[in-house]
Amino acid sequence: MTWYNSVGKDADTVISSRVRLARNINGYPFASKLDASGANEIIEKVSAPLEPAGFRKINFSDLSSIMATSYVERHYVSPEFSTKESPHALLLQENGGIAVMVCEEDHLRIQSILPGLALDEAYLNASRVEKRLDEEFDFAYSERLGYLTHCPTNLGTGMRASVMMFLPALTKGHYMNSLANQLSKIGLTVRGLFGEGSGSAGYLYQISNQVTLGLNEEETLKKLSDAVAQITESERRARRSIVGEPLERLTDSILRAEGVLKYAYRLSSSEFIKLSAEVRFGIALGIVKDVTYEQLGTLLVEAMPATLTLSSESTPKNEASRDKLRAQKVQAVLRGTPSVTENPS
Amino acid sequence: MLCEKCKKRTATVFYNENMNGKVRSYSLCGECAAKLRERGELQDITSMTGSFADPFSELQDHFFSGFFGISPQKEIRSEKKCPQCGTVYGEIAKLGRVGCPECYSVFADELSRMIQSVHGTTTHTGSVPARQRALKQRAETLKQLRTLQQDAVRREDYETAARLRDEIKQLEQSKEQEDA
Repeated sequence: MTWYNSVGKDADTVISSRVRLARNINGYPFASKLDASGANEIIEKVSAPLEPAGFRKINFSDLSSIMATSYVERHYVSPEFSTKESPHALLLQENGGIAVMVCEEDHLRIQSILPGLALDEAYLNASRVEKRLDEEFDFAYSERLGYLTHCPTNLGTGMRASVMMFLPALTKGHYMNSLANQLSKIGLTVRGLFGEGSGSAGYLYQISNQVTLGLNEEETLKKLSDAVAQITESERRARRSIVGEPLERLTDSILRAEGVLKYAYRLSSSEFIKLSAEVRFGIALGIVKDVTYEQLGTLLVEAMPATLTLSSESTPKNEASRDKLRAQKVQAVLRGTPSVTENPS
Repeated sequence: MLCEKCKKRTATVFYNENMNGKVRSYSLCGECAAKLRERGELQDITSMTGSFADPFSELQDHFFSGFFGISPQKEIRSEKKCPQCGTVYGEIAKLGRVGCPECYSVFADELSRMIQSVHGTTTHTGSVPARQRALKQRAETLKQLRTLQQDAVRREDYETAARLRDEIKQLEQSKEQEDA
């Protein structure tokens, strides 16, 4: 069971919750000044208590780029981490959605990602691992500035909490810009998951805290979850306000999207993102009956280029054969058709 | 390191001269640097560095300089150096990142404006590492014990005062052991 193939609280508007804690170990310079032997030393030291606790160590220096990208698609590591040159490793406990990036921008990025709205639980998960490591290491800390981080924007708690939200009605109603403005006034930011700015493909947005200094962890989490609750309320209200002819038109386009997802011969990544968002909207509105959030969540990871390629027995030769593979994968999940093998062409 | 000009005082000012891609480093004491600056020699070197720098890095300089509230092209690149990792402030302004935990103390003044503008404050209120928590708690306990000891002496309750003195000694010793 992973975060992306299960659903949690407020599944109609919230895909996942994530909390990340940045920590550095005293006695070592930060990443930009850290040499390979220092990085390897940190990786060894951090693995020692975590591996026996059920974490799997993945040395990214030994990984193919497609494997590395697949971890980005599963949201366990950042894109920057996946392409880093110097030694870096991931310690992963997939069941609890706990991923510790070692030697990313900070020595440690301890994160927990859970389905649905579960910020407090995600914080507890990350914090439990952090406490365990706090027993072993002397974390870089100052009484005034809190946890010391490579970039001053993470000082203080070193905590970034974010909620991935699905906001089709607010997007279609052109409310996202004003929402972003309001949130920035209270120290929160909105970022589109696919593409920057207000018109995110897939209607997916990350809402996160911008400030890490001056507010403690509980206050930060509360502010974020209060905002998420309000956004959820607005999104639901906006959904209910779609009636009459606009609803008829929307129903038509959602059912068409479902049809294409289930029966297309080829699906590009961007088309898949767009169509699956329409179908997800359809589930929320009660228009689509036989597709679940779990299925779409699974596909949102497994139909992405790297993860998709890895699931296939042979590497797709080109874009077109990968799009065919994607269509098969989507149909296997949505219609239960046995497939995901490349047709001889 | 001694100043390479007077060869007497310790060098505290470091800067690089980039002449047609050839980099030379200078180490000067504050006084010699000030003299050179007065004569306009340091300033000249800096403006040359600017003119030979590639346009992209200049753009980057300007981007971060707005954020960090300094103007690297005008300001002399002859800053303090972090004794731990060798970072100079110009690097921090350019990358938006410090070199090591110690940089936050070395460049406290320079960074405080930037931290204030990003976070709206410069004071942490969140969680504390266990070790720090223990240290803080011990410091508070020591303070309380000392007050009690003074009270006991004032009351001429020497038995209690002696007991408190031993307790204080024990706590202080454990602190020294940990520091070592």
